[in-house]
Amino acid sequence: MIHPSAAAASQAAAASGPAGPSGPALTPAPASSTRDPAVSVPAALASSAPAPVIAVAPALDVAGLAGLPVHGVSLEHPDTVAAEHWLASLSPAPALACTHLVRSPRPHVALSLVFADTAPELGAESPDAAAEHVARRSGRAVLYPGVDLLVGTLRVADVLALSAIEKVEVLGGGEADPQALLDTGDFVRPQWRAGRLTLTTAPAAGDRLVPFETRNPTPCCAAH
Amino acid sequence: MGHGHHHHDHDHSSGAAADVPPALDLSVPDGELSPSDVSRRGFLRSAGLLGAGAAASVLATPSAAAAAGLPHSHGPAGGGTAKGGFRWLAGDHHIHTQHSSDGQYRVIDQAGHGRAFGLDWVVITDHGSNAHAKIGVDKVNPDILATREELPDLLTFQGLEWNIPAAEHATVFVHPGRNEVAVLKQFEQTFDGSQLPATNTEAQNEAMAIAGIKFLGEQVKRRKVDGALFLANHPARRGIDSPHEIRNWRDADPTVAIGMEGAPGHQAAGIPAPNGRGGARGLYDNNPSAASYSGYPLETYRTWGGFDWMTATVGGLWDSLLSEGRAWWVTVNSDSHVNYLDQSERGPGSDFEANGRYNDPVYTGKVNTTAGDFWPGFYGRTNVGAASFSYKSVMDGLRAGRVWVDHGRLIKTLDARVRVAGDRRAATGTPLGGVLHVKRGTATELTLEIDLQNVPNWAQFVPVLSRVDVIVGSVTGPVSARDTFTAPNTKVVKSYEVSPGARKLSVTYQLGRLDKPFYLRLRGTDGKRTQPGLMGAAVDPAGPKLDVIGDADPWSDLWFYTNPIWVLPK
Repeated sequence: MIHPSAAAASQAAAASGPAGPSGPALTPAPASSTRDPAVSVPAALASSAPAPVIAVAPALDVAGLAGLPVHGVSLEHPDTVAAEHWLASLSPAPALACTHLVRSPRPHVALSLVFADTAPELGAESPDAAAEHVARRSGRAVLYPGVDLLVGTLRVADVLALSAIEKVEVLGGGEADPQALLDTGDFVRPQWRAGRLTLTTAPAAGDRLVPFETRNPTPCCAAH
Repeated sequence: MGHGHHHHDHDHSSGAAADVPPALDLSVPDGELSPSDVSRRGFLRSAGLLGAGAAASVLATPSAAAAAGLPHSHGPAGGGTAKGGFRWLAGDHHIHTQHSSDGQYRVIDQAGHGRAFGLDWVVITDHGSNAHAKIGVDKVNPDILATREELPDLLTFQGLEWNIPAAEHATVFVHPGRNEVAVLKQFEQTFDGSQLPATNTEAQNEAMAIAGIKFLGEQVKRRKVDGALFLANHPARRGIDSPHEIRNWRDADPTVAIGMEGAPGHQAAGIPAPNGRGGARGLYDNNPSAASYSGYPLETYRTWGGFDWMTATVGGLWDSLLSEGRAWWVTVNSDSHVNYLDQSERGPGSDFEANGRYNDPVYTGKVNTTAGDFWPGFYGRTNVGAASFSYKSVMDGLRAGRVWVDHGRLIKTLDARVRVAGDRRAATGTPLGGVLHVKRGTATELTLEIDLQNVPNWAQFVPVLSRVDVIVGSVTGPVSARDTFTAPNTKVVKSYEVSPGARKLSVTYQLGRLDKPFYLRLRGTDGKRTQPGLMGAAVDPAGPKLDVIGDADPWSDLWFYTNPIWVLPK
């Protein structure tokens, strides 16, 4: 595991330029009115999709997890589906969990996990996965504050308000219009990119956006 | 090269590494070879395997056009006559049959449709697999032989779709001959990803891919087959063809590893539901996996105007290879498995694993609206400038990069040549894939003639070309970082709007006096869907647009691309 305070300090020391918008990793961000769920909840239901149950789940910023240790785990899962399956078996569930793709020596998926309480027994460590997570360089978030609320069709502004996602982009097209509609497919996997938890989306039929990653992509065609 | 003789025994590297036999060692003059080596060298020369195009980089050679083995194809006088003296043969090198676990058609079904839809050559490429390596590779051959007999106007190659170890799929095919099955079978059983231990590391698998390409080259040098080619299929689909792997394949044997699909097949997959599958054009809907190259951005995984990101991005991966002087060509294919609106299905009662093939397809009376593929020739085509109608000429033309591609029959014909300025002789001009060598300070120009389409395509409309872009990049030599996938000096330098109602586009673009080596390539569009390129509007103001998942009508977004021509100082 990596304790973020030390890692953040070393990252800050290594940084040669001014810190980006999110600053050094895991520094608590100032509260933002646009991220206050109480403000944006009434506007959240921009479509006829079933209303998410919002009241019980105050959206947490990932910065709220600052100071908690990041555990890197490598169990040689062949793909993200297997890694997520294992993740679902964890008790207690992590508050923040990311998958990390590792190409060598053999391609596999590692994970980085942050627990609000004591971590369960996890298995072989992956210092690299933990380091990527702490530095917010890479990693694909599966569990993160607000993920349960990202169901049905939502405005981009609501995705930002309801969850820890800090930025929504359109593939090849810059930042998404806050008023654009996102058909979540109940499957939203943002990624750490340049210090921010970023969701990449793409245009889809019906003038909607969809997350870049779909739950069931076309499998490689041959049966091999 | 100013001499008029077409022997290619210059003192330059053929790309063959150490331990070259005398016939391959171009520093040994013909006169010092044994009679058998002279004969062998003659064979290799005529097969386009010596000299020019045989090297990974055009910087090492006087003329890539010479790879075609055409007489008088050197330098400024290269290229031959009328439309370059070439017969442009349309083809498709990526087609599946009932010998693929996800296919269903007979060879003659695919070949017959391909011929009817205007193709001159096809390659049958069933997936490498246990069943194929043991059974299918043999069983498909009699069907191919029968098809050659039945359709003499169509060149039907036998190939396979190789699971490249550590990477994507690739078309591998050989010249017809008595060893075609034996070579393909040994290749598949030894080098297909499905036949390798799952415990292999990434490095071991990458090495096997290189060994596989070298094996194919060896079979040609030993005269087992008269030619063998490799083209990477749907290279960016899953981000697992890393830039260094592509460079390594080319370097492994540039007479074999010649290019990649500029656009994937499955172009019907984005037709909106309920009339179509409502999926992603090209079936490009994947996300990075653990096998993906981590440096690729997410833009890699989608199509842009129907084309693969590596090709569609001006200043992107393809241009990074070309700006090295690394000859690497693009093609367009159907990847046909099951075709949109077809009314047949896989033969009932099949046992693919036991038989290596499905039973013959049966007519259902139902229309398949969820299939994502077009019949070969129905939508995309790879146009090869061939010296004649023959298997060898198609392979030579492909190897020389004398290739342009289009979707939906966007244009009728294309003749692009780079010339010494003012030289308009019909028999001069360096064609697509070629290298023009001139003295520094010599003025050169591009001459481009496009016969605009006046015949309906297979969607029953006459496509209208709206714009042609000239894309130019500096040649800066080999990169030190082999995972480089950008070319910062490449951009669109000129765009020509096509007048409505025009029958022909005929333009000359002055390339200036040669200072630094450069290459150019061409691209055209119906202009219906564009957006600034991924490297910025200053590089590509109106490039191909990201295809919308579930709403990508392939007939309303047509492009053509040509392969490059280089201009280098003598």
